[in-house]
Parts: sequence; C-alpha cells; structure tokens
Amino acid sequence: MALSAMPDSLQQPTLDPVTFEVLRSLFEYTCARMSQILQKTSFSPILYDMVDFSNAIYDAELRLLGQTANCPVHLAAMQFSARATTKRFGVQSLQEGDVIVLNDPYEGGTHINDITFTMPIFFRGRLLGFAVSRGHWTDLGGGAAGGQAFGTHIAAEGLRLPPLKLCERYTINDDLFRIITNNTRTPQYVEGDIQAHLGALRAAEAELQRAAERYGEETVRLAMREVIAYTERMTRQAIAAIPDGIYEGEDYADTDGFSDDPIRIRVKLIVTGDEMTVDFTGSDPMVTGAINSPMANTYSAVYYSLKFFLNPDAPANGGMFAPIKVILPDDCWLNAKWPAPTIGCTTLTSSKITSAMWQALAKAIPQRVTAPTFAECNWFVCAVKDPRGGQLSVFSDLPAGGWGGTPYGDGMSVTMDPLGNCMNLPAETAELLFPVVYEAFELRPDSAGAGKHRGGLGARLQIRFLGEAELSMETARTREGSPGVNGGGRSPVQRLTKIDGSGTRETIGGWTEDGQWKKCLLAAYRFAPGERFLFESTGGGGWGNPLERDVARVLDDVLDEYISIEAAREVYGVVVDPVTLKVDAEATQALRTERLQKDANGLAQQTPLAAQPLHPVWGQVQAVPE
Amino acid sequence: MWRVGIDVGGTFTDLFAWEEETGQSVTAKVLTTKEDRALGVLQVIAQARLPIERITTLIHGSTTATNALIERSYPPAAMVTTEGFRDTIEIGRQRRQHLYDPYQTKPKPIIPRRYRFTVPERLSAQGTVLKPLDEEAARRVADRIAELGLGSVAVAFINAYANPLHEQRMREILQARLPHAYIALSSETRPKFRELGRFMTTAIRAVLLPVMSAYFDRLSTMLAEQGFRGSLFVIKSNGGMMGVELAKQRPEELIESGPAGGVAYAAYLSVRAGFPRAIHTDMGGTSFDTSIVEDGRGLVTREYEVEWEVPVITPMLDIRSVGAGGGSIAWVDQGGALRVGPQSAGADPGPACYGRGGTEATVTDANLLLGRLEPTLGGKFPLDRGAAEEAIVRLGRRVGLDPLRTAEGILRITCENMAQAIKMVLIDRGRDPRDFVLVSFGGAGPMHACFIARALGIPRVVVPAYAGVASAFGATAMDIRHDLETFFYAPVAGVDLARLNYLYEQLEAQGRGLLAQEDLPPDRISLSRSAQMRYIGQSYEVETPIPVGPLTAASLPQIVQNFHDAHRREYGVASAQFAPAFVSLGVTVIGHNDKPPILQRTAASARDPRKGERRVYFAGHWLDTPVYDGQGLRPGLALRGPAIVEYAHSCAVLPPDTAAAVDEWENLIITVG
Repeated sequence: MALSAMPDSLQQPTLDPVTFEVLRSLFEYTCARMSQILQKTSFSPILYDMVDFSNAIYDAELRLLGQTANCPVHLAAMQFSARATTKRFGVQSLQEGDVIVLNDPYEGGTHINDITFTMPIFFRGRLLGFAVSRGHWTDLGGGAAGGQAFGTHIAAEGLRLPPLKLCERYTINDDLFRIITNNTRTPQYVEGDIQAHLGALRAAEAELQRAAERYGEETVRLAMREVIAYTERMTRQAIAAIPDGIYEGEDYADTDGFSDDPIRIRVKLIVTGDEMTVDFTGSDPMVTGAINSPMANTYSAVYYSLKFFLNPDAPANGGMFAPIKVILPDDCWLNAKWPAPTIGCTTLTSSKITSAMWQALAKAIPQRVTAPTFAECNWFVCAVKDPRGGQLSVFSDLPAGGWGGTPYGDGMSVTMDPLGNCMNLPAETAELLFPVVYEAFELRPDSAGAGKHRGGLGARLQIRFLGEAELSMETARTREGSPGVNGGGRSPVQRLTKIDGSGTRETIGGWTEDGQWKKCLLAAYRFAPGERFLFESTGGGGWGNPLERDVARVLDDVLDEYISIEAAREVYGVVVDPVTLKVDAEATQALRTERLQKDANGLAQQTPLAAQPLHPVWGQVQAVPE
Repeated sequence: MWRVGIDVGGTFTDLFAWEEETGQSVTAKVLTTKEDRALGVLQVIAQARLPIERITTLIHGSTTATNALIERSYPPAAMVTTEGFRDTIEIGRQRRQHLYDPYQTKPKPIIPRRYRFTVPERLSAQGTVLKPLDEEAARRVADRIAELGLGSVAVAFINAYANPLHEQRMREILQARLPHAYIALSSETRPKFRELGRFMTTAIRAVLLPVMSAYFDRLSTMLAEQGFRGSLFVIKSNGGMMGVELAKQRPEELIESGPAGGVAYAAYLSVRAGFPRAIHTDMGGTSFDTSIVEDGRGLVTREYEVEWEVPVITPMLDIRSVGAGGGSIAWVDQGGALRVGPQSAGADPGPACYGRGGTEATVTDANLLLGRLEPTLGGKFPLDRGAAEEAIVRLGRRVGLDPLRTAEGILRITCENMAQAIKMVLIDRGRDPRDFVLVSFGGAGPMHACFIARALGIPRVVVPAYAGVASAFGATAMDIRHDLETFFYAPVAGVDLARLNYLYEQLEAQGRGLLAQEDLPPDRISLSRSAQMRYIGQSYEVETPIPVGPLTAASLPQIVQNFHDAHRREYGVASAQFAPAFVSLGVTVIGHNDKPPILQRTAASARDPRKGERRVYFAGHWLDTPVYDGQGLRPGLALRGPAIVEYAHSCAVLPPDTAAAVDEWENLIITVG
C-alpha cells in the first residue's frame, strides 16, 4: 500500500512564485506555531521538556501539507490517524469545532501513549483542511507506569481509544473526558494537556482561515496542491540521483523480552528511476513481546530514515510519500495486529528500521551515506521510594549514544537517535526531586566504531538509589555494537550493570564477564538502597578504513582520551609513546603498511573493536559468538 | 561636559555624544579596527572632534567578548569538575540542531577534554557533604594544570549552587600552585541549579577573563594617555551597564553588549515618546534582530545560547535573530520555489549592485531596482543599477516573472519572513502584536518596516532620529544595572520566611555593594525583587515580581497571585491544581543615570527637508515620490506616503496609504493604517 498522496499533476506551478513562497512559508509557520503553543501550554514534562510531540496540517483530501515533526517518528504516522478519523465518521458528518481523539495502535495510532487529536478546518462552511496534534502522554493506564508493562497483550499497555469525538462545536464531551481522567496515573495533567492540544489546533484553524481571507480561498487551495507537488519534485530528483538497483540491509532487536534469539529486520530498497520501493519481506513474524510495530509506525520510520538522504530541506509533506512505496508482509513484527503489544515500537523498533535502511543505502550511495547510529532510545523508567517518608517518585531518562561517522567527519557523541530529539535529565534536577545520586554522566572512551571518520562516543551513566527502586528498560545493541560502513568498524556493545554496596558488579543486561548474554529488557528490576545502576551506551559505527585516518587526528583523540593508546595502535595503526604522548612516525608507518598488506591479502579483516579488551577500568568487552 | 556612547560593531565603530550643559549632540562613525578594537574607539572620538578631557562618562559597547568566544580565540584554559562530570559541557543536553541533517556536527567544546580534569568530591542537593574533597587528588590536578602552563581555570562541582565550600577549597589549592591564574567558581558565577548552564557559564567566564582584562586595560591606558579622566562604563547583556573594573571580573555578562545598546534606545524612546510597548527591530546586512521592550525595559531571558547547546544563564536581553538582511540572497531551490536568505552576500562581494563581483540578486538589489534606494547612497558609494538589474532578470527568468515583479516578490517574501520571526517572539512571550509599535533600526530596517508592520497588523512604526548610531545613542541612555540571583527551592506553602527574608537582604546587600564601587549617591539607587517560580512537578520557571521589604505570611497570597498572573501571561494558562514553589530569588539593583534631553544637533540648519522627487515602484506601479532629507526633519512636519526619507546611513520607505509626523525628538512616527 502506498500512502498515495498525489499529484494531480507534476507540471510547473500555476500560482505565481511569490504567492506560492509566501503561502509555503505560512504553512510551515502554522505548524511551528502549533508546536510552540503545545509546548508552552502543556502541563506534563514529557511534552514541554522532552518535546515528545508533533503537529501537522492537511488539505481537505487529507494530504499532509506540513509538519513539525519534533519527533521524526511521528512523521507519517499522523496521516494514518487523520484517515482513521474520516473513515470512521465520514467527512460529511464532521462539523466546525469537532475534535476527534484516538490512540488505537490498530486504527490510526502507534503505541498507546501517543494520543492524537484531529480537527477539521472550515472556511465559510466549506472544508478547507485538517489540523492534527499528537503528543506522548505520560500515562494512560495499563499494567505499569507509562504503559511499560512489557506484557503479551495490548490490554496491559493502557486505555485504547478508537476515533472518538472529544469535542463537538468546540465543547468537550465530559463523559469521554472523565473516562480518560479515570484511566491514568497522572490525572492532574489531563485537563491542561488537552487544552494545550486544543490550543494548537485552534491556532492552525485561525492561521488557515486568515490566509483564505487574505489571499482567497481558491489561492490557498491551489497553494496546498502545489506545495505537495513541490516536495514530490524534490523527492523524485533525489531518488533519481541514486543508481537503479536492489539494495539489501539488515538489523535486529536483541530480544522482545521473551525470545533468546534476535528479532530480525530484512529490508530491500528497490530503486527504479525516480521511484523507490521499500520491501520488508523476509523480516521476522509478529513476536510475543512489546516491540511490535503497527503499520503507521513502520511507515514513519521508513520516511524519516530516508528523509536524511532524500532532500532534507524539502518541506515534510505528502509529496514525499508518493514516489516511495512500502511492502509489508501480513504476518510481520513490523505490521502489528490485535492483540500484539506495541509499547516499544517508537523507541526501539523504529531505530532498528533506520539502521537497516541506512546499511542498505550504504550499498547504493556509499559516498553519501553515514554509518548507523547507536540506534536506540535507551529509555528507562525508575520508581524510587523515599527512604524517609516512603513516598514513591517516578522519573525517566534516556542516555543517548553516538552517531555514525560521515563522509565529511566524525559522528556526533551522545546525541538523541534520529527518531526523536529529546533532552536528558540533568543530574541536579534528578537529585533535587528524587532520592537518587547521579554519580556519572560522561563520555565512554573507546566506545565509538573506528574509521577514517569514527563514530561519535557513547556515554556512561551511573545512578545510586537512596531508597528501594524498580527500574524498567528496553534496549538493544547489547549483542553487537553499531555496524560500520565502507570498511569502518563496529562499536562495542551496550551493557546494563548492577553494582552493589560493596562494589561488586553484576551484568544484568548484555554480555557477562563469562560470556553469557542476558536479556536486555528489564521489567521492574529491583535495586536495594545503596545499589547502583550503570548503563554504558555505545557510539556510532565507523566510516571508512581506520588505517586511513589522519595520524594527527588519532593523536588528538588520544590526547583528549576519546580513544586509548592501545586502540590507537591496535585499531588505527598509530603508535603513540605513553610517556611523551608523541607519535612514533616510523613505527606507525611500518605498522600501517603491514596491516594494509594483511587486509589486501584478505588474511585479517580489521579487528572489530568489539573484540578488543580496550579499557582496563570497565573490563573486557566481549566478542560476539557466532 | 560630555556623555559619550561608543559601540564597536562588526563593521563600524559608532559614536553618539551629548553635552550636559547645552544639550548639543554629535555623531561619528569610523571603520572598526579589527586588529585592535581599542584603536577605533580613539579614532571615532577624534573624528567627532570631542575634547577628550571634557568627557565625564564614556559608555562602551563591544562585540570583543562574543567574537573571542565564537572564534575560540583565547588562551587555553582548564576546567575542574566533580568526577563523573568531566564531559557535561561537551555532551550538552544531547539534542541536535538540525532534525534531518546527517552530516551535522556540534560546536567545539569551550574547553577541550584534554584540559578538563576531575576530582573526587560530592555534595548533595541540599549542600551536605556526601564525599569530602580529595585534597591529594586536587593538588595533583593543580600540578598538572601548572605543568601544562594553563593560565585560567573554571571550577564547577555538582550541587555547588547549594554550598560553595568544596569549590572554594579547590580555589585555595589551585592558588597555592598557580598564584597568578584567573579562577572562576560556579558557585560565584551563577549559583543556580541544573549543571549544564552553570558549568558552561563558568567555563565561559574562565576563558574570557584574560581576554577582557587585557582589552580593558589596554583601552583604559590608551584613553588615559589621550587625557581622558572620566568614568569608563561597559554595556552589559542585560540592557544595563557596569564600571570597567567589574566588567573585567564578570566578562560573561558582556556577550550581547553590542545589540543591547539598540534595545536601550528603544526603551528610552518608549518612555520619552510614550509607547509603553515596543518591538525593537534591527535589520543590517546579514541578519534581522528583534526583541520586546515593555515599560521602558527590554525583556530578559535566562535561556540564551551563544551557540547550539552553549547556554549562558546570566540574564540577557531576549534578542532573537533570523537570517534576513540587505545582503540576503534570492535563489530558486531544487523544487523551483523562489526563496530569500538565509545566505547573505555579506559586505564582500556584497549585493550585485556593489560591483565587487557579486552576481546573485539580493534584497538591496531589489530595493535599488524599484527606486527605493538612491543609486549613489548620498554620494558616498555609487551603486551599479545595471548589475542589480542583470541579477534580477536572470532570477526572474527562472521563475517566469518580469524583473519588477521579481524585485517586489523578493521584498515581499523577506518581509513576510521577518514578520513571522516577530510573531514567534511575541507569541513565545505571550504578547499580541497589535498592542505594540515597531521601532526600526539598522541600515536596511526602515526600508521594510512599514511592510512588516502591515503584515502583523501593527498600527505604527517609529524611525528614530539617531537610528544610524542606535547602539551608541542607547549607551548614553543606560542605567547601571546588576541582576543578582540565589538558589532557593521551597514550596510556597510552609516556606521558611526567616530564611526567605535573610536571602533577599543578603542579595540586596550584595547589590548595594556592587553599586558602591561605582560611587553612586543613594538617591539614585533603586532595588526590585523577583523570584523564579514554578508549579511543583514542572521543570521550567517564570519570573514573578516580589514585594520589597520584610515578607510575612500575609505576603504569600499576593506572591502566589503574582505567579499565576505571570504564568498566564507568558504561557497563556495557569492552574490552581498545582501548588507553586520558589526555585531561585533575584534582586535587581539599578543606579539611575541622566538621560539625553531634547537634543540640538551641532550641525543643525534650517534647510528644507524636501530635497527632490523620484519614481518609485509600489504594488505594480511607478509613482512620483517625494524624497526628504532625514537630517532636516523638524518637529511638527507631516508627510504622506508614498515618500522616501533618506538618512546618513539608511532610508525609510513610506508606501502609499501611510501618513507620518515628526515628533519633538525628531523621530518619524508612521501610521501604517
């Protein structure tokens, strides 16, 4: 199925270019203003602080006009919401001031916590378009806070709303409002957050109506059509610049919480002229655990992953959907159906789709693509009891990892994955409000995939709990690190560790010291007061052969302790004197020549970083058993 | 005796001065001396023919601190943090600037990792010692810094906002080993919670201390050698000023020193000419800056970022910038749309009409083609109309428009862009554009101001008499101002009133102490209080006014009401469901200065302001348009659009259906209608 959005024609615009540009930028501004209002007036921290929301406007035929995907993982998914809305109610029955709410993962939603509000916009009684506002709500019930029950049935993840009229003629349906308020652990946020979403929708309504008033209704409708054609032109040009062919890529989730085997994505990018098909045939079937991705989420992941390399400057609108088709097998974890649990689809599954697709792109456009990122959200939720009063605090954080090396330089260190752009929790905020001590949040040396342009570094986060605590986390990249491209190396693995009061370490997710792999999905894992949780995130993959990295940059990395002297020698072939911290040029030359020779003879592909005992303090990083 | 304002900008060094006895004024402009900006200060005084020994007060604005920071051109510095937090200033808040750019990078750390050290120590959020400072380790760090020859050190420990003890001890240990080093402590720089802002601001202070000390010492010496015996002040980022000795100690407060002068001018006008709410705009060659002035003061933010995720948490004027200026390039993108900016042709090669090799059509070229810009710039710089036309014809062909419609289109698109930037600022701060007047500064500003105002529904535009030297003028209208803050997290219900009063009194004493250094008589000092407050469970704060004097239980309901009101104004909502809490307390101390009176121009003459007529293109038609001399405008004069008013460094365009009057301060007040 294609999200066919398209074009009456791809001819040159008939609107004069100045009016077109004014309205094009007005559509962008309208979405930006919606997001500004939502962020400023919402009451729940996940909206105003973590910016886990998006806003969009559509034309009367429900084609996306513009969107502030503050969270890229909402990019295409919102179109499914808007369509589910009109499918259920019929366009004719919608009236001015109606607002439809939904979050059903199988009827226009993705996971329970992403709740979507859709409002038709009328001008002088005629349907002009739609405004859609989506936000991640802190809690909508279910078996555990934030829906992170990690169960086997969607019912464990919270209140599932099919498309329902929240407002008629701008008036909130009190029955529905009370149902929602009754089904959350955070009822105090509900009214404020609903008002914030409605405020965003009303702002879009006002902007589009004013535009129709000022420029004429027909001009605005024409601009809507042309702005979509404009993005389609740019997207087609970008696809046409990729050589025709079939390119395959693969990645996996380490576990769904039940499986000991990886859960695989296999993707084929089929490029023909200025069109592309993204085919997931061969990917694993639906799984027991909560990482299944509904169609809407999978589509979002496909489009935002491609947007990085298909004209990122083009406005995000329906025009980019038309030339790209998606094929999803019927029984597939990327095409979730009732009653499969889906809570992890946005944070975990979408980033794996990106990584698989970027690896496929590496075969198509090796000189333009970047290596995959740490491809995770590393989102955890903690519930901690105050050691004095016994009061329970709940907080969450998402320690990022590194991005992959690029054709132009090293990847960014500790930066939120492409799927979103959320901020971390500052240590001083956490300690002021919750009974914890943040003992470290710092770069993790030797955590990047080596390369001519290396990945960015991962982080090391350590928290000491002052009271009894339960921690839930779902993550991956604990079996193998981020893959490199064009001869670049893999990064080391992520790992979850418990440190008890006496300093004894126990791996609780990922590879243990004795070569066992433990499931990296923690559901309400218990910590006693004084115990610590250590999470080591990974860096991005490397780009290009590390033996070709500029020697001076390798030395800089040693001086800044981004990499160890051992890694400089073993991985980059650069010999640095541990006392003078100067490069031994002769030894380096000899070592690099020898290593390149070996590579050429196929004797030893470069040693993956993951197999190297790199950092004495944090112990040996385990090799991945075949 | 003269009061003199001097603004050292990126291109020009401007001077404005007025004589206290006569009210006479003088302006001057020279090219900025980039190799040593202090030289330009002397040159501009010489050009203005001011007797340097008769200058009582010299107020100086400069981009020296900002430039040093952005170019990372300062002596290498060290940083010492709590173990586990060596990389806070490099990690930031882990966000990226561009959502979909796969090749983006983050700004280079202010202090590189190799010069960042950690020591074992730990305080709790309440300021109690969880782990004592490891003095052995601290001494080893001091030795290492000495070995490396680093001359300034930032010390930033986790939770030091609650207790400065460990940082102070660290300073003693550093001083013992490095007696001449500059040392900045986070507990002194800005004792506020959330580590990134405090750490970064401290690092910025540390790297700027040697740079700004050297600069101000050199400037003071050079001025003294010329016979200057007055007081030297420096413009701060908060819209006030401070004496040069304090400026050397608090260089992070000078980041927006340049633009702050213009905001001060807008604030002065809003009081004098009676518009309590004004939007300050400044459009130059490459960028368009805008900020809000209310009740004679620029709105301040605590969320300023010098670069992406490089926050400075000292209160700064909330000035926002977009890439729209006279040099902004018009182009056709891959999808075939006509776009303007944010790329700029800058000053070199500049717009096509500069004849310096620029071939792309810019906003300035469009203005020239439409007759809005006079082709010799008052005889100062001949513009090449042919080159402008050629560039615009070429662009127009690509989008199927004739040259005149292309030129008008470029201006319309750029004005809409600026209007949207203003709307975002106003809405972000909960304000409605229709309640404001638009004050237009900058070489390219008054050419576009009326069009921007129309797009926003703003009824009036003010083109100030001294718009060409706005920052320098604003400098002479400034007060001394210090914003002091201390951390105090407490729910309002059950707050320890004794502690609250004690902290306010302490801040006020500190503020008086700072003003005492400037020799101000007590009757010129005023104090006001505020608190950063939030709803419990939220993580952002709103500035709330707090009454002066002893606070009692009876004061609290008013404080809570003030908070709800402030929250509603900034965010559009308020909620009684959530209880409020204090997060930090603030005191602003102001030392009031004399403001410029109604001024006499030294070069004044009674010449006829109407100097001619030319054809100017408006909305598809060439109209015969009168041209006025901006220097000749006298109070009471009334104009009707279409009209052009030419100033020394800019020109105002009044489209048809506008009317204007000159007020008693010689400002042009345009009614856009």
